[in-house]
Formats: sequence, C-alpha cells, structure tokens
Amino acid sequence: MSDGRNIDSRLGTLSGEGSQQRGATEVVPWKALDTSGYGVPGDRTYYDRPVIKKSVWSWDIPAYYYVGGATGSAMALGAAATLINRDRLSRLVLQSRVVGLAGSMVSAYFLVHDLGRPERFLNMMRVFRPTSPMSVGAWILFFFSGSAGVAAISQLGPRWIRRIGDASAVISGVFGLGLSGYTGVLVSNTTVPVWQRPHRLMPALFLSSGVSGAASVFDLLGGNPREQRAVLLFGTAGKLAELSFAYLMERSVATVPEAARPLEDGLSGFLWKASKVLTAASLLIALVPNSSARVRRISGVLGSLGSLCTRFGVHYAGQRSAMNPRATFQQQRGGQGAYAVTGRAAVTGPGDARAVLE
Amino acid sequence: MPKGFFTDTSICIGCKACEVACKQWNQLPEDGFFFSGMSYDNTMQLDASTWRHVSFIERPVALSGQDAGAFSWLMSSDVCKHCQRAGCLENCPTGAIIRTEFDTVYVQPDICNGCGYCVVGCPFGVINRREEDGRAWKCTLCYDRLTDGMTPACAKACPTASIQFGELEDLHRDAHARVERLQAAGVKEAYLYGVDKDNQPGTEGLNAFFLLLDQPEVYNLPPDPVVPTKKAAESWRAMFYTALGAAAVAMAAVIATRGERAR
Repeated sequence: MSDGRNIDSRLGTLSGEGSQQRGATEVVPWKALDTSGYGVPGDRTYYDRPVIKKSVWSWDIPAYYYVGGATGSAMALGAAATLINRDRLSRLVLQSRVVGLAGSMVSAYFLVHDLGRPERFLNMMRVFRPTSPMSVGAWILFFFSGSAGVAAISQLGPRWIRRIGDASAVISGVFGLGLSGYTGVLVSNTTVPVWQRPHRLMPALFLSSGVSGAASVFDLLGGNPREQRAVLLFGTAGKLAELSFAYLMERSVATVPEAARPLEDGLSGFLWKASKVLTAASLLIALVPNSSARVRRISGVLGSLGSLCTRFGVHYAGQRSAMNPRATFQQQRGGQGAYAVTGRAAVTGPGDARAVLE
Repeated sequence: MPKGFFTDTSICIGCKACEVACKQWNQLPEDGFFFSGMSYDNTMQLDASTWRHVSFIERPVALSGQDAGAFSWLMSSDVCKHCQRAGCLENCPTGAIIRTEFDTVYVQPDICNGCGYCVVGCPFGVINRREEDGRAWKCTLCYDRLTDGMTPACAKACPTASIQFGELEDLHRDAHARVERLQAAGVKEAYLYGVDKDNQPGTEGLNAFFLLLDQPEVYNLPPDPVVPTKKAAESWRAMFYTALGAAAVAMAAVIATRGERAR
C-alpha cells in the first residue's frame, strides 16, 4: 500500500469501514499550506478555513442546467404548439421534438460524466426520494427523455403512431417545465450561502432562463413567420422574467454583503453581470420590427450565451461562497439560518444565549 | 437504542489520539501531509479520509477562573454530528446514506455513486467526495464496532474522556450535569451545542453534540445551522407557480399564431 495506510498485507487484512477507499497512489510529500490572509484579528473564524465544503461538481453540472433548461422549455412550447396549432406550426413541433431528444441525451451524458462512479449511474433509479431534489430530478429527466424520445421517433411512423407521439409530446412538455425548474430547487437546497438564501427565487430564475434559452434555440433554427411570432412572445416573456428574477435574487443575497461578493467581482461576478447584459441585448434585438433571419440568429446567440452565463455565474458564485466562512456565519447571525425557517435560533452561548437576538 | 457522542471540549488536551485511532481502525488512506501554520492543527478539517479532527484555538483572553495571563487554549475534537435531520441523508438520491439501528447516519460504500449532493447538503462541512475514489465518505460512528457491541475507536482511545460514547439519553443527562458542575466551578463560558431539538432547531438535535467554551464560530461550527430540506417545500412551490406561468405563456404564444394570416 502506497497510499499512507502503511499496512503490510502479509501481516494484516484490510477490512475496516474505510479500507475500500481508494487513496492517492503517491503519498503527498510534506508541504506548507498558504496561510496568507488567515486569522484576521477580531474576526471570529477558525483560521479563515471554510466552514462548509464546496461542491465537487465540475463544469458538467452548470452546462447541464443550461441544456436541460433549454430542452425542457423547448419541449413545453412544442407541446403547446402540438395541442393548439399543430398544422401551421409543424416545423416548430418537429424542431422541439428533435431538440427534446438530443437535449435529453446530452443532459444524461453531463450527469453521468460528473458522477464519481459513472458506472453506478443506474443507482439513481434505485429509489424515489422526495426529500432529495436530485432524486426527483433524476426521475423527471427519466420520464422527460422517454416521452420526448417517443415524440421524436414517432414522427417517422405512420399516422396512428404519430398520434401517440403527439400525446407523448404533451406529456413531455409537462415534464419539460419540471426539468427546466427543478435544477433551481436543487441548487438552493444546499448550505451554500449564495445559493440557499434566494431559495424561492432560484427555481423561478432557472425556469425563466430555460424559457429564454429555448426561445434562443428556436431563433437559431429558424421558422415560418407564425412560428417566429410564437417564439418571440415566448422568448420575450422568458428574458424579461430572467432579468427580473436575477435582480430580485441579487437584492435578496445582498442583505449580507459577505454573501453577495461572488456576484459582484471575480469570474463569477463577471459571468453574472455578463448574463444580464447578454440577455438584455438579446431581448432588445429580438424586438426590432421586421427583422431579418440574420438579426434573429444574432438574438439567438446572445440569448443562449446569456442563459449559459446565468448558470455558470450561479455555479461559480456558489463555489466561492462556500469557501468563505464569514458568508455562512453572517447569514446565520443575521437570521437567515434555522431562525428564518423555524422561528427559533440555535444556542450559541451559556444561559440559553441564541444565535439571533429574539 | 439511539447512540451518540458527547464531546466535552473542556477536558480535551489536543493529543489527537482520536484522529489516529480513527484512521487506524477504519484503515483510511492518507490525505496529504501539510504544514498548515495553524497552531498545532495540521489536519485542518474533516474530510473524506479524516473522520475526526482536533482543532487548536489560541485565544488572547483568559478562560474564567484561570490566572495565567491573557491567554488560553481551546481544543476540540470535531466529528460527524449524525444529525436528527441529516442534510446528507435527505439529499442522497440513491439511498446510499441510511439511518442505522443505532440512530446514526451511515454511507453505504457499495451503493454510493458519487453524485456529490450530500457534500453541499451538510451544514457542517463534514462529508466529502474523495477524488481518487469517486465516492462520498464520512464518520460511520464505527458501525462495525457498534454491531459487535464495542465502543467507537476514537472514544476508546481518548485518554481524558473528552469523547464520551453511549446511549443518547445517558449522554444528555451527563452533559447537563457537566455544564452545571463547570458553571458552579466558575467556568461561566460552558454551554452545550446541538444537544437537542430545542437547542438547535435547524438540525433537530445532534447525536454527536458538544460542550463548548466559546462561540461556535471559533471552533468553525455554524451558529445557526439548518438542514436545507427544511426550505425545500417553499422552493418547490416557487417552481410550481413559475411553471404554471411558463405554461400559460407557451399557450398564449401559440394561441397568438391562430387566425392571423401568415406573411
């Protein structure tokens, strides 16, 4: 064993609770930790060490938020078109189903790829656990991709199969809205300060960003004037909602400045601000009357980038926020911990002294 | 019967026997040899391969009752809290994290697929995914030893009984008595952290609770932790209403295309 266990396999067997854990193949040599900036006097932290762990998710996950969001909302518009004006919006209907099928496959790839043990991805389907937004989401994606797949592939079949496909598309549209929105619930159902504080706004932000992303995809694919009109209405509402919820979320987080910092500076702050600029630009360009196909495509590119930046901005802001113990401490001392939920804060000192003055 | 730990930090001497006993019994791999510069704490945090962690706090103030000048040490052996409402367990989508017959929280290594959702669900930063391994790991409260009627390795190794293991009920009684005794002896700072639901409503009590001598932040413990799932219903409701809005917008967008002549 070269991973620091120092157990001679001839003398002892590995059967402890952690014995299966794979360690580093090379023992890390003794090295000094960068302690610059640690232990600010008068500030109560433990040598500035993080109090919670940051997520282990790589860029796969925010990429999935975007793909799943755009795909789900695209299917929702496609379902509405299937129900109401199937014949005159046939291209949009077909596009939505192809996007639904391709998007759910890409989504599944991102999710499986990010697992620590990808070969065990089917364990997600082992149980349904309503307390876990990830479990709920895994099942939403399962039913969404199944119904979107049937909706897309049925288009190749005879009439009666296409009928089944239409019904499947409507089901898929309903699951699509769930797919677009549940990621917001998933992100805020954590202890990360910048994610947990806006727990009512995050699902709304993610869902409207999904709608904006879906409209942008349709803008890129193009369609007849009726279809363009539907996409314009859908996208305008989505982009306006995305900008409004982003503003509200920022305000809600800003009540504790230490928690809001990742939305203001650094890479995460840049992405967050870029998302607002890109979405606003896309919204304005889309509203140019009698615009050409090229202008609509530009709007589609900007909208897609805006939607992507929203998810990556939120993700990286969370990573930074988790590393800052002051964000957690100040939120909880400011009444944004258990106090906000249970109306009673925890004991933090002798004589029943509570974390928040009541 | 619910089992747990009562960690009385007032008698912790920072020997780290618990850390060593834990690593050794559970046969955990090393997780990097660092010189941290943080007092005598080179372990730095609880992690996937570190299930006990002793913190060293150097304070520029005396502990009440002491007259050795403006200085005092605080040491505390941190561990997974085995919360009554466990964020990791409630976030786990595979059912890998379970509550055992001892009322402790256990990750089944043969089920965990390394999704990482428990890591951000823990209010205490305990559980983590090990890069090389791909799965999430944390203190098992020596599930194997408990099954055989033994004391967990850390409690067994603790030379000052700072780590006490037993029936939760007994621990509660002993802990309250200990605080009273300390208060009577003039240690006015002593209090219990996370002993029960009234003490810590956000977690509804910890099976591994602590006697502390300063504010939780000093020990790198959150002052008012809350299991994220307590707020999930509000998030789902927000999502539901937004989804209704999005569905209405989608319908309206399509209805607007009816009747109008295509150009």
